[in-house]
Amino acid sequence: MTVLPRAVLIVSFIIAIPCMGFAQTLGALNPANIAKQRPKAPFDLTGTWMHDNKGGPNAWRFVPPTFKLTPEAQVHYDAGEKAKKEGKVYRDDIGQCWPAGMPLIMTRVWPIAMIQLPTAIYMTSAFMNGLRIIYLDGRPHSDPDIVVASFNGESIGRWEGDTLVVDTKYFPGHHHWMDQGGASIPASDKLHIVERIRLIEKGSVLEIEYTMDDPKNWEGEWKTTKRFSRVNDDITEAECWPDLNDHIRSTTSSSQVK
Amino acid sequence: MTIMRCVLALFLALSCCVAAVAHHSPVVFDRTREVKLVGVVKEFRWSNPHSFIELEVRNEKGQAELWAVEMNPPSYLVKAGWKSSTIKPGQTVTIMINPLRTPEKAGKFVSLTMEDGKVLTETPLPTAP
Repeated sequence: MTVLPRAVLIVSFIIAIPCMGFAQTLGALNPANIAKQRPKAPFDLTGTWMHDNKGGPNAWRFVPPTFKLTPEAQVHYDAGEKAKKEGKVYRDDIGQCWPAGMPLIMTRVWPIAMIQLPTAIYMTSAFMNGLRIIYLDGRPHSDPDIVVASFNGESIGRWEGDTLVVDTKYFPGHHHWMDQGGASIPASDKLHIVERIRLIEKGSVLEIEYTMDDPKNWEGEWKTTKRFSRVNDDITEAECWPDLNDHIRSTTSSSQVK
Repeated sequence: MTIMRCVLALFLALSCCVAAVAHHSPVVFDRTREVKLVGVVKEFRWSNPHSFIELEVRNEKGQAELWAVEMNPPSYLVKAGWKSSTIKPGQTVTIMINPLRTPEKAGKFVSLTMEDGKVLTETPLPTAP
């Protein structure tokens, strides 16, 4: 081979390397991704939803009546119980403007706007405008070495008959709790949540069965089922402005145990 | 003249049973007590996730104290007849609060009485039936 064709070959190879084996996942809002042929989704949950809180005063909570904690989690739980006896609250990080995170973001008494496309479901809670995305386009979970942990986690959904099964993981492991003002049990970076979502009662109720495990904080699986009703509300902006807690002074009072 | 009286109220609900609406836990308020504040509105903010009133109250010594009154979001106030212009800085009002369990001058809004005697409350957050 002469020098020139060899040089062209080498240059072509160098240019081609970035394009080889690095096929980019199409974004969920990429028209090409949306237009792909897929089976019709069994249901469309687009709408504004709110947890119905009909199961009792603690229906919004996710911690079961009995549990076995790891020693590390037990320290926090015991500190929380001590604070309660003193009329205080332990590590109310949501009150300090940290995100509620999964699963608590789902049962705040604020409406959640849900928009379903073939490729993803976008959820925005009116509570601090927390964003959650459930990918439906067949992508796998991200490489753990690359993913950026988030309080609502990375959610991958797949259809099983009339049920949407959502697998969520990759949480930050700090300032993240399984309850607020109740059982002070942290959520670690190993928290794993599976939701089985069904649209029932002629599309008026969203039923979500939660299965959660976090081997760093408790043994076994926690299960609970929550129901959400359609509401006519529109969500609004609700941010934790930097001076909010200057005025909501319970959050900076001696009632807060850090 | 500041008038503060503790009025023993009925148990409305255990504080642990209040739904998680606020960005912060409500367990720090004593729901079995109500404290009466008479003062001048310094600020009324109509905003999410909380509206609030900063109220300047004169204590028994005539010294000005600033009380923080925490309220529900505007959507719950509107249902009870509030508007963003319902009260303004400089107005004298009487407010009943559930106080903090700790000594700081802050509490959860219960009711407001205007100078003309009109009483305003707020729509409660959803709790268990």
